[in-house]
Amino acid sequence: MLFGIVLPQSHIDELRTAVGADGLITGESQLQTYECDGLTNFRVLPGAVVLPRNTGEVQAVVRICARHKIPFVSRGAGTGLSGGALPAAGGVVISLARMNHILDVDIANRYVVVEPGVINSQVTQRVAAQGYFYAPDPSSQSVCTIGGNVAENSGGAHCLKYGFTVTHTLGLEVVLPSGELVQLGSATLDAPGYDLTGVFVGSEGTLGVATKVTLRIVKRPEVVQTLLAAFDSPQAAGQTVSDIIAAGMLPSALEIMDALAIEAAEAAVHAHYPVCGGLLLVELDGPSSEVDVLMGQALEICRNNSAREIRVAQSDAERALVWKGRKAAFAAMGRISPNYIVQDGVIPRTALPSVLSEIDRMASAVNLRVANVFHAGDGNLHPLVLYDRAIEGQEEIALDLSYRILYLCVDCGGSITGEHGVGKEKQEVLGYMFSEPDLQTMQLVRCAFDPDSISNPDKVFPRPRLCADVPGPYTPHPLETAGIAEIF
Amino acid sequence: MSTTTTWTREECLAHLASIAGQEHTKLCGESVAVAAADAQQIAEILRFADASGIAVTPVGSGTKLDWGNPVEAGIRLDLKRMNALREHPWQDMTCTVEAGCNWAAMQAELSRHGQMVALDPLWPEEASVGGVVAANDGGALRLKYGGLRDLIIGMTIVLADGTIAKTGGKVVKNVAGYDLHKLMIGSFGTLGVITEVNFRLHPVEANVRTWTATAKDAAIFAEPLRALLDSQMTPSAVQVRVRKQECALDVRIAALPECMDDYAARLQKIFGQVELSESTENVWQARQELFSTEGAVVLKVSLLPSDVCPVSSELQQWTPREGTEISVLAQAAGLMTVALKSSPDAAIALIQHLRGRLHGSRGSVVALQVPEALRGGLDVWGCDSNALPLMREIKRRFDPNRILNPDRFVGNI
Repeated sequence: MLFGIVLPQSHIDELRTAVGADGLITGESQLQTYECDGLTNFRVLPGAVVLPRNTGEVQAVVRICARHKIPFVSRGAGTGLSGGALPAAGGVVISLARMNHILDVDIANRYVVVEPGVINSQVTQRVAAQGYFYAPDPSSQSVCTIGGNVAENSGGAHCLKYGFTVTHTLGLEVVLPSGELVQLGSATLDAPGYDLTGVFVGSEGTLGVATKVTLRIVKRPEVVQTLLAAFDSPQAAGQTVSDIIAAGMLPSALEIMDALAIEAAEAAVHAHYPVCGGLLLVELDGPSSEVDVLMGQALEICRNNSAREIRVAQSDAERALVWKGRKAAFAAMGRISPNYIVQDGVIPRTALPSVLSEIDRMASAVNLRVANVFHAGDGNLHPLVLYDRAIEGQEEIALDLSYRILYLCVDCGGSITGEHGVGKEKQEVLGYMFSEPDLQTMQLVRCAFDPDSISNPDKVFPRPRLCADVPGPYTPHPLETAGIAEIF
Repeated sequence: MSTTTTWTREECLAHLASIAGQEHTKLCGESVAVAAADAQQIAEILRFADASGIAVTPVGSGTKLDWGNPVEAGIRLDLKRMNALREHPWQDMTCTVEAGCNWAAMQAELSRHGQMVALDPLWPEEASVGGVVAANDGGALRLKYGGLRDLIIGMTIVLADGTIAKTGGKVVKNVAGYDLHKLMIGSFGTLGVITEVNFRLHPVEANVRTWTATAKDAAIFAEPLRALLDSQMTPSAVQVRVRKQECALDVRIAALPECMDDYAARLQKIFGQVELSESTENVWQARQELFSTEGAVVLKVSLLPSDVCPVSSELQQWTPREGTEISVLAQAAGLMTVALKSSPDAAIALIQHLRGRLHGSRGSVVALQVPEALRGGLDVWGCDSNALPLMREIKRRFDPNRILNPDRFVGNI
């Protein structure tokens, strides 16, 4: 844990004026609640946490930060897995938890306007009665917030068909790192000017704070059918996925779990999965006549790839249980291993069989186990590297393996992250995927939004970069530069 | 030469010829036209232009070159030599294509594996990929497949200082780094030169049928259109056409052959008393035809889907009252093309009226194709965004010497 940078009392007083005494946290034990997000091996204590109630209070806080060059990190539910909401040491955490209202619902135009602290699944709950849903469904959707989804451009199992958070984000109200308020995009398409909404979504909190989000909602499909097919290996399941896509189908989800992942999910939630080397979940949705025909085709493709057992969920309850096992898979790893690293990489779908074999080989070479859970339809792997921290040196070996898996993804034309973001965890790996000119070009955008690098600084990019950066080994902390704190 | 005193036009020609070859460089009116072979040559050309303060206009096939404010460029940077479909890993359903590639040629190649970029831009036989992307063009398929921001997964661009940068990648799901390609889509060549685009692909719509309903007033379509969009059907395109006192609504359905009759029945049920009849694929050319209206200003209107029929109807009513001729093609997703033939004053009055009418719902009106008589008196972009200072700052960072299409875009970016 990093200690040693404190906010001067005068700045804390200003923050209290901005959000009120009940909106400010400075006590060390309470601050510890905010010292990490879902990536718990990185921990940093913030100088203060503020809980604004509205856009005006967010602006007031950001203006204070801008005036004194205090780094700030905005935060939703803190479920992110890449350390994106990790505080800056001694900086301000802006928790959007109290800005959790759904402001507008327009069914005729299929959009809703929400505050950033609204929980993902609440959006669907709000429009379900009219037959609509909000499509992006990260596994944490019952707790994660829309603001966090916007920051990370979250996906989920169903983005194969429905797209990502950016697909469904029509407009944003954003407090820029200067404290100014801007409207980006709107419920209407193609506003004249640059598509700043498109750039902001997925920028991981480095371009400002979203205070209102206009989201597209989608009509719930007439029928949903879910098929489970058991194969001898994840490679065989992977080949089935390629064949389904090659047949011109666009299922709403195509998920694969390997034997270890099945074992863990069974132990955790008793989803009654068949015991096998590779389990494929296929979900088709749409008008009933179409889904019936396509399900027949999918079953045939599974049989052609020697599926040894095929089940079609017969009720909503059965389907819910299938998904419960899949969505619980990460947390379930605790049942079969004392510690584990959740990784997130993407490969071209056709590389699935060869990459899975290579991951097996790499894991065996260092005597570790890797469980595989993945969104196979879009090649998004979630290798779970299992290890025991109590065994000296094993954590380092596990971390090294997890990064080498990412390099493998890049080497075969993929990406280092499909939905978890770069955050703190992968900022060095970003430099493996993008060249220096690519990164410098991204910095042009960063610096246009945030010239003082105070909005979620030292994240995403491979090393601390400031907009007036000159090459050199040491970049001082913004608080240090501003002369308001020192490192001791 | 519009911008520099350092180089004569002939000297500029000679220098560009030394980069791209004599046979690919020529004088073209007041400009020097140069056709680059690759991103490296573009980088060299831009470095030269940037150092010399010479304005550059990137050109694909030139079909939309007059959209936006006019640019007097010293260098016309032609992308036509960069016309290859570089990769088509069809099993991954992605492709990488050079910006100068002809749109229809690209689609023809992709269709060999039954795939397509799911976008229907204007003039596909002439338009280049880079031009379609820079102008963010697209037609009625947007309803089902989204726009370019949903279809482009990566890009290569060259900045004004010659930096060659890649953004995104070749996989559909990817959240590494900023999505700079989203910034480039619709930026009208003001931030960098697009040299390569990576698309996600969809299966070609193999089995398609189109139905059309007709009426005297577009307002009649409001309820069936609402019901259709609120249904569980997923038409690939829906549009409303208005010409004089005739209106039509077209629905395009792509489906498995065995499901088509079921869809036809559902559609007729939704439309109730409004009769549908099967029509030809030609109706989807209607948007393009509006751009051929002699002497008309052609507008891109963005509005809420629920405003599509009411606003179409209002424009229909406007015609006899003002002595103007108005044709409308409204896509159900909330984008409308309006061809307006009238006196300059009446045209400006109508554009101002529309902007006021849509202001509350944050709609917009951009004049894409503007007759010479209207040029001086019309704000073609009508952008009142409070993010304009931020957009200017992005432009300043990307192109500090303002050599890339200066003044062409919103707020004289």
